[in-house]
Amino acid sequence: MLRVENITHSFKNGSESTPVLHDINFTVNPGEMVALLGSSGSGKSTLLNLMAGLMKPMEGDIYIADHSIVKMSENKLSEFRRKHIGFIFQAYELITSLTVRENVELPLVFQSVSPSIRKQKSLSLLEKVGILDKADLFPSQLSGGQQQRVSIARSLITEPSVIFADEPTGNLDSKTEEEIIGILLELNKTMNTTFIIVTHETDVAEQMQRIFALRDGYLVSEKGSLVGMEPKGGISIEN
Amino acid sequence: MRISDISRLAWDQVKRRKVVTGLCMAGISIGCAAIIVALSIGESAKSYSEKQLNQSFKMDEITVTANGGIPSHGGEGGGGGATPEASDKLDPGKLTRQKLDIIQGLKHVNAAAPFQELGYIQMLTMDNRIADVQVIGTDLRLLTKYDKTFLQGGGSDLPRMAVLNYGATLGLIDDETNQKMLEGFRNDPYNVQLREQYDSLSVLPSQMYQQQFQLQQFKDYSNPASKILQSAPLRVIGILNKASGADDLMESYNKIIYVSLETAHQLVEELSMTNGTVGQEGVYNSAIVKVDSTDNIVQVEKLIQKLTLTTSTNLYQLEQLADEFNMVKKVALGVGVFILIIASISIIVAMTMSTHQRRRQIGIMKVLGANMGQIRNMFITEAALLGMMGGMLGVLISYLIVFGINKLIGTAAGPVPGDGIIINIPIMTIPIGIAFAVMTGVFSGIYPAISASRTNALTAIKRD
Repeated sequence: MLRVENITHSFKNGSESTPVLHDINFTVNPGEMVALLGSSGSGKSTLLNLMAGLMKPMEGDIYIADHSIVKMSENKLSEFRRKHIGFIFQAYELITSLTVRENVELPLVFQSVSPSIRKQKSLSLLEKVGILDKADLFPSQLSGGQQQRVSIARSLITEPSVIFADEPTGNLDSKTEEEIIGILLELNKTMNTTFIIVTHETDVAEQMQRIFALRDGYLVSEKGSLVGMEPKGGISIEN
Repeated sequence: MRISDISRLAWDQVKRRKVVTGLCMAGISIGCAAIIVALSIGESAKSYSEKQLNQSFKMDEITVTANGGIPSHGGEGGGGGATPEASDKLDPGKLTRQKLDIIQGLKHVNAAAPFQELGYIQMLTMDNRIADVQVIGTDLRLLTKYDKTFLQGGGSDLPRMAVLNYGATLGLIDDETNQKMLEGFRNDPYNVQLREQYDSLSVLPSQMYQQQFQLQQFKDYSNPASKILQSAPLRVIGILNKASGADDLMESYNKIIYVSLETAHQLVEELSMTNGTVGQEGVYNSAIVKVDSTDNIVQVEKLIQKLTLTTSTNLYQLEQLADEFNMVKKVALGVGVFILIIASISIIVAMTMSTHQRRRQIGIMKVLGANMGQIRNMFITEAALLGMMGGMLGVLISYLIVFGINKLIGTAAGPVPGDGIIINIPIMTIPIGIAFAVMTGVFSGIYPAISASRTNALTAIKRD
């Protein structure tokens, strides 16, 4: 499903170059739910952006559904993202002028899907995330947790190959955090969608099937399962 | 991306960003209104002037006269050297019935009738009032084809019948009063009272319909013993309406009596007139050709000239007028376009600001799969919508401006005889104005749209 091969990346500031990722390699299988764990500055968000095609790595390649996204042009990448990638943002990033349903439908609008199909799909997903009754409200009329549910529904509407979630519970209280993670786990189970969740919270990461931990741009650990994990390369997760 | 979706998203933004929308619409509407008002004033002034010109100069008529072969006086000789007996029906230079028939058959010709000028003679009513009139022999039944309308009666081909223009029914005074007036002027040319009295007598109307009158030669006052030839009586079978926009005084200077060609022939004999071809059967000194449109005048005129006839039109007046109004229109259009350019700059600024404010939203859309073209189209559609709304507001404003101008003209001019100038907004200027506004919107939206489409998604969604 997702293959990250020898990814190395650094940020340039004039003549200075700051390395952020060093020779990252891993594979995510279809239907897996993976956490990308790391503290601030560890390079996890950069890696997420690279995997989503929002940035180009300096070295290495990334494959999603057997397509190399590194070599794609911007327009090709837009088209690819439209079909294969879903996004869940920490700050939800809903369009405030659109209703909940319209927000959920938005990725399909870019695919020129007919309004009737869009409506059918969006309502079905809103029901799945438990806010069908909020379909005609505007984002400003919803709580943080409800907005994140809208964001989740939006990420699922194109039935993408993989969904990237960047700190999806970062703005939520612990009760709502549990609800959202519960929804993601449920969706992963029922829809068999691949999730890659960036988080700095160990308790969130521990609920995932596997964990890739990053420290100072290095992949330091891969956790195969929550129980009886066997750190790859003998390095433990550190916070 | 569906057009309906692009339009809906663009409309959402237009509704949402009220200040930007208001600013852009204000600029465009003023520019659009300026263009519509400019074009309307230009068109209205042009059509008013054309109407006035047409009333005075008959722009859609061609006056045809005999060419060099016809002598101006007498029935023989002249440049062509042909005698009436020797000439055939299509004799070069002569204006004959046959040539008129050919002209009548030409495309775009509505009417071609001889207007045989007999010259100026005196009209004498049965109660001995006189007036100097111009006598023209023509087909009285065709007068209506030359924009003439009857106030009373109508045309007829019966002999000894006459149609008077409105002016010919005014200022008929007896010879004695006329002489006294003229003598008074001779003694005191600057007598205002006498002038006023003369003017009021000049416009004094007479009931001439179905009345009889005679035509007579001018009296030779130097030879009181000389005999004045008089025609047999003629009956007035029709009175024409006065020309549109003309008042009675103007009409009184233009007294015309129309008689049939047969009657004209009789009058020439009765009054021993020797005026060019008036004595010749089927040969005329003048004819008027009515053309369906001023646009076809040149084409018809060229064809008539091929019949070796002399033509004259008043088209040069129209050309002169068109040149003047083209200049006025260009200047007005230039002002409108200048305002639109200013409006365009304001749109570019407002939309570029709007683009920067919406960078995050653009970024999200890009992350969700919108490509550069889709983002660009959304912004251009938004700009086009702003243009269209500005254009529609401009139409409304232009109607208000024109209403105001018409009110001003009405107040300034007071009660104007005839048809005063009224500014009308020609229907065609409305789509032209809106098209200009939409084009301004679209062109102004191109830069912000390209700028928006190039927004880096990652930079846009990154939070500080």
